[in-house]
Amino acid sequence: MIESIISYGLAMGAAYALIAVAYNVMFSTSRVFSFTAGALGMLGGVCGALFIDRLGLPGVVGLLATLAFCAVVGVVTEFVAVRPVLRSLDQHLYVLSTLALCLMIQQFTAIEWSTVPQPFPQLIPVDLLGIRERFWMPVVACVLVVGGLELLYRHSMIGRAFLAIAEDNFAARALGLPERGLRVASYALAGAIGGLAGFASGGIMLAFFANVSPFNFYGFIPVALGSIGNNRGAIVAGIALGLFQQAANFLVGGVFSSVAVFSVFIVALLIVPQGLFGAPPARRV
Amino acid sequence: MSLTRRGVLYGSLGVAAAGLSAGRARAAGEPIRLGWLTALTGPNSAPGIGFNRAVVYAAEKINAAGGVNGRLIEVITRDTQGDPAKAVNAAVEMASNVKVHAVFGPTNSGESLATTPIFARFKVPSLQVVQLDNLIDPEKYPNAFRFAPNNSQWDDANRHYILDILKAKKIAVIGDNTGYGTTAVGVSVANFKKAGAEVVYDAVIDANAQDTTPNLLRARSAGADVVAVWSDSTGLNARMMNARGQIGWDVAFCGHPALGSGDVARLLEKPAYWEKVYLVGYRSCTFDANGKLPARTQAFIDEVKGKIQLNDTTLYWIVAAIDGVNLVADAVAKSGSSDSEAIIGAWNKLTKWPGLFGDITFTPQQHNGYPTDEVVMSLANSAHDGAFTLAPGYA
Repeated sequence: MIESIISYGLAMGAAYALIAVAYNVMFSTSRVFSFTAGALGMLGGVCGALFIDRLGLPGVVGLLATLAFCAVVGVVTEFVAVRPVLRSLDQHLYVLSTLALCLMIQQFTAIEWSTVPQPFPQLIPVDLLGIRERFWMPVVACVLVVGGLELLYRHSMIGRAFLAIAEDNFAARALGLPERGLRVASYALAGAIGGLAGFASGGIMLAFFANVSPFNFYGFIPVALGSIGNNRGAIVAGIALGLFQQAANFLVGGVFSSVAVFSVFIVALLIVPQGLFGAPPARRV
Repeated sequence: MSLTRRGVLYGSLGVAAAGLSAGRARAAGEPIRLGWLTALTGPNSAPGIGFNRAVVYAAEKINAAGGVNGRLIEVITRDTQGDPAKAVNAAVEMASNVKVHAVFGPTNSGESLATTPIFARFKVPSLQVVQLDNLIDPEKYPNAFRFAPNNSQWDDANRHYILDILKAKKIAVIGDNTGYGTTAVGVSVANFKKAGAEVVYDAVIDANAQDTTPNLLRARSAGADVVAVWSDSTGLNARMMNARGQIGWDVAFCGHPALGSGDVARLLEKPAYWEKVYLVGYRSCTFDANGKLPARTQAFIDEVKGKIQLNDTTLYWIVAAIDGVNLVADAVAKSGSSDSEAIIGAWNKLTKWPGLFGDITFTPQQHNGYPTDEVVMSLANSAHDGAFTLAPGYA
């Protein structure tokens, strides 16, 4: 039981954490929660199966093609569902526009791909330290993304520009930073991260059009719990969510595990509304 | 020969007269309009595509033989795309504008629930194949007839196999959290208890659950010696079979026809995980232990070889659709009319009508016409040519 909780819990937690990071990366440059994050996760699994299993591409090429495709979907999201509603952010029209695009992607996938889950190919036929690929791959992907983002944000000009825009959009623009270009780049990056989440967890989640909802819902919980925009918080909250969800599967079982997850989520937000890693909002006087 | 004005005039009059007389002949042999509603595109279109091949074939065969009492069958098809709203629109159009004489379909429960009251209001004779129990009610819908098994008949066959053939005593019942799965689990548990069996574990699982090991471990701890599975989610079914194999639990899975889907096979980690899995099937579409289909079905397959594509569909969809068209044609032939009352009256008197799918019997009080003893269990991993092999233990 413990083995199953840890293996499934860590793997799914890492996948949720990656989706949460995709949410955060898009949010940081646009102040928009794009609900296409779940669609990106779903596409990661479907594209991986399509490129590797059906088209016979080598695993690495299939992975790169998947990331490139999902990055393009990220860019399309920015152009189609985000840019047109940015001027009226306070009306939250992005909820409608990004959800609509997400549903379109899901329906298109259902029609063109399949309405039943399809197998995701095993890339490495041997276990790593006795652990099966489907369990270690999401965790490794998560570690690589965290490391990559740290390098990008701390040691590159473009990363610092991302941070500047996330910190103060208007000030960054006044300093001459290409806000629009950086926003498009952040959506491409988020697309690749979301796609990687689906690709890495494909062995567990399979290549299935209906994976959009679990990725969207369970991927958003670490965003809120880990404090909005905080990638480190998202990773910790994502892993905790995965472990708790799998433990709940064993302890309460069936559909009640979802109830348990959302109950704890609500209670946690009642206690710390700003998230586990956020500072309480300053009160204006 | 020169073309004169008078010649053209006489010629035109002749053509017009010929057209008029042909029109009268057509009116005398007004086609029998059969409404056919199914999902031909969209996510749930696989059954509809299979059914449709047979509907077209059956109508063409009848028409090629001169029709029914000299009247051709005109199939009016509407693609519902699996959407109840589209099915409702098509039903209203068929009943009020096209004025169909009878209707077959829709072929999924959600759409049928929505369209059955419409066809009842317009008194259109309606043939159903969906499993939902409460869809057929001769008092509420005297025009609606089902010539395929309902959920209760599936459950009866499954329970009979588990208790009387496998001789299992302690049962686990697992389904998915869809409306269908939840209802089926409830009904199955109640019927097992009524039959004196001990239900040691029952659960409703998220249809998209990634890990079903916790549920199977619980069922094993509870002492279950068989698992009744009620889910049409191929992903969930395959995950349960994988989990059963990984925990090394040697029990039979018995239940929903989706257990034998080719999509399940693709998701299994080992082919051996598909052993000891039995699904609900139909004697008419089941190979016996010698690999032979019933003679009536085999004769049909020989007849349609090269005419209906069978290798990518399910045989029961094909034979059921053939029966659907023939039931309408037969009712018009026997009653001599395509009026609503005539067709419904003919169906109400049907006794052991020899269909390809099964021998159908309707009475004014019973519009579920499929014989329960024709519902049998089959080996899940035995599919070929759209049919399965009979599960072991039957006489």
